[in-house]
Amino acid sequence: MTTAIETETLGKRYGRRWALTDCTLSIPGGRVVGLVGPNGAGKTTLLHLAVGLLQPSAGSISVLGGVPAAGPEQLARIGFLAQESPTYARLTVGQHLQMGQWLNPSWDTDFAAQRVAELGLDVGQRAGTLSGGQRAQLALTLAVAKRPELLVLDEPVAALDPLARREFLQTLMEVVAIHGVSVVLSSHLIADLERVCDYLVVLVAGRVALTGDVDELLACHHRLTGPRRDVSDLPGNQSVIEESHTEKQSTLLVRTTDPILDPAWTVTPVTLDDVVLAYMRQARDGGPRSTNHLAVAR
Amino acid sequence: MIEFHLDPSSGVATYLQLVQQVHQALQLGLLEPGDRLPTAQQVVASLAINPNTVLKAYRDLEREGLVRARPGLGTFVVGRLPRTDPAAQARFRRSMTSWLRSARDAGLSPDEIEAIYRTAFRDCFTEGVA
Amino acid sequence: MTRFAWLQSRTQTLTVAAILAALAIAAAITGVQLAHLYNIDVRHCQSSCDLALSQWLSRQTFLQHTLDILSRVAPALIGIFWGAPLLAREFETGTFRLAWTQSVSRSRWVLTKLGMGALATVVVAGALTLTITWWYRAIDLASSNQYSLFDQRDIAPIGYALFAFAVGALIGAVIRRTVPAMATTLGVYVFARIATTIWIRPNLMSPLRKFLALAGASPTSPVQLGVGMHNGGHLQLFAKGDGPEGSWTLTSHLVNSAGHQLSPAQISTFLHQYCPNVGPPPLATKPGQGVARVIGPDAGRACLEQVAKTFHLVVTYQPASRYWTFQWLETGIFAVLALTAAAGCYSWVTRRAS
Repeated sequence: MTTAIETETLGKRYGRRWALTDCTLSIPGGRVVGLVGPNGAGKTTLLHLAVGLLQPSAGSISVLGGVPAAGPEQLARIGFLAQESPTYARLTVGQHLQMGQWLNPSWDTDFAAQRVAELGLDVGQRAGTLSGGQRAQLALTLAVAKRPELLVLDEPVAALDPLARREFLQTLMEVVAIHGVSVVLSSHLIADLERVCDYLVVLVAGRVALTGDVDELLACHHRLTGPRRDVSDLPGNQSVIEESHTEKQSTLLVRTTDPILDPAWTVTPVTLDDVVLAYMRQARDGGPRSTNHLAVAR
Repeated sequence: MIEFHLDPSSGVATYLQLVQQVHQALQLGLLEPGDRLPTAQQVVASLAINPNTVLKAYRDLEREGLVRARPGLGTFVVGRLPRTDPAAQARFRRSMTSWLRSARDAGLSPDEIEAIYRTAFRDCFTEGVA
Repeated sequence: MTRFAWLQSRTQTLTVAAILAALAIAAAITGVQLAHLYNIDVRHCQSSCDLALSQWLSRQTFLQHTLDILSRVAPALIGIFWGAPLLAREFETGTFRLAWTQSVSRSRWVLTKLGMGALATVVVAGALTLTITWWYRAIDLASSNQYSLFDQRDIAPIGYALFAFAVGALIGAVIRRTVPAMATTLGVYVFARIATTIWIRPNLMSPLRKFLALAGASPTSPVQLGVGMHNGGHLQLFAKGDGPEGSWTLTSHLVNSAGHQLSPAQISTFLHQYCPNVGPPPLATKPGQGVARVIGPDAGRACLEQVAKTFHLVVTYQPASRYWTFQWLETGIFAVLALTAAAGCYSWVTRRAS
């Protein structure tokens, strides 16, 4: 499988503030990749760099082996859905499809028309009068009908009600099942992504906090509960991500590929939510550049 | 054709839930050899889950010998669930009952007994835990 | 991209075209009528020709006013309503993120939008100014100096409109908010036009000079001469003359026999010496009312005769023959400015990261 997005110490600066610092990623293709992090973590910046809306301030990025927005051919390989699904309010649904046809040589007219019919959208209706969910579906149709190899979606469901959210993800997964596109989608809520992602990238304060295959991440993280003890005497192959202690009890989130042999620990499963939150907290509270420092510079 | 459902809060991996639901359907006779399972496209269009999850579940079922994928046609049920010998089942229930009685007589509370059971169960079937 | 750019601007372009067409039809009908009536009433008038002329001039006042206003504001309107929103709206609504991730390069996107908008601007401005110039031709001949309507006739409005459009597009691309861009475009356009009219246009070619004699001049003759007070202040000489027929007079001032312009001190000295009896008027009825008031026919006339013997008037002007040269020069200047603005816009959009 080709690499979908490859970055090397990628950085992006606005004035004096670094929105993204020292990002080195190798996001595999053929997956549904979730990009998660708190607001302001740099998710939108990273995605905009991937589709060529921004230029890097430091480092490099390559998408599907090419330079983002290097030319029409590169642009044709990637479908993008910007935050809040911008559409031309005064143009109709049908005119948006026209636009797609005129501006994309790889446009699949039949697919687009069929999709719009299945969604129940009125081709004569102006995009400005569509609901949020309908606009998101229209924007998704526009991104998919050009038959890209990679779909990049920036917080596609953030502003949608639960039903619209579910329908959007259903449509998206159906597209993946039929066409086999790679997908990178971002959200600040892990719940949105848990169902659909099989690869995860966690961004906190402009840096990569965690990346990996979801199944592997869940397999190598465990919650250990047991009597209160000092964690410095744990075996070297276990790294503690998070720890909390009461007078009598210690609870740890550890990362290890080996089995837990110490019988004093009760091992319980972790959810993806647990893992992501733990890494987010670790990134925020520890590390050379804390969020507080950046807030002052901002 | 059966329809899958997902329980996100059960702590059980999605693909395992699909496998279990196929097992249940086979047990209840809702699925019989020759029936076609829903395509990955159909499953994800209704559940909004990753298609790879569905493929993983179907691969597991194929490894168990319960289904076979026919390219271009779909995935079909080919086997039945092995029925364990009722005599073997009765034997294990008897030894379980006697263990429970000893634990109770030793002074363990029902909750303690259940905790011990759950831990041991989990350790034994580790790949079944998310 | 061309088809899509047309789709985006279709409604507003067709609306303007429809309005223009209606205007053109109205102009065609009334213009022919007007010319016809001129032939009948004015050219072949036997008596009271002034009255006939002024009556004829007061026809079609609605259309006169409409076309007059349009000729002044149309270029600015094009800049504000076509130029400023062209790119600003895409940035403001975020649709540029949709447009820049289709399979067309940013460069082609901005060039197509600019190019088509410029073309539409030239066509609309050209049609409008053609209509107006043609409709007004008889009236202009009868009543005014062609230089006084310089920026409302012939080809200059096309240059203005193109400039307004291009500068609007540039400002819209930089500011990225439609309404502030519109306001800023208006300001920049007005400044550019005023600056050109006051500082550049008079000096496009070296003005010609002409010496005018002051003999026989009075406050009411073609060469005007008078003496009086303004605001109840000092005694002053008022002298003003025009260049030849149809020319654009830039300056006129008094010079002595050596050809040098007079300083206020020199005028003062002269007045004290030769016009002592020209005294202050009775209490002014309203402050600020200056008047060239000749006190007593003999004293005043003697004063003015002495002025005519000592000084003459120099006028600098641009002759009528240069009118079209100036039209082309000014249109050219604004076209170059437009091109510069468009190049700046292109560079801003394609180079600036996001």
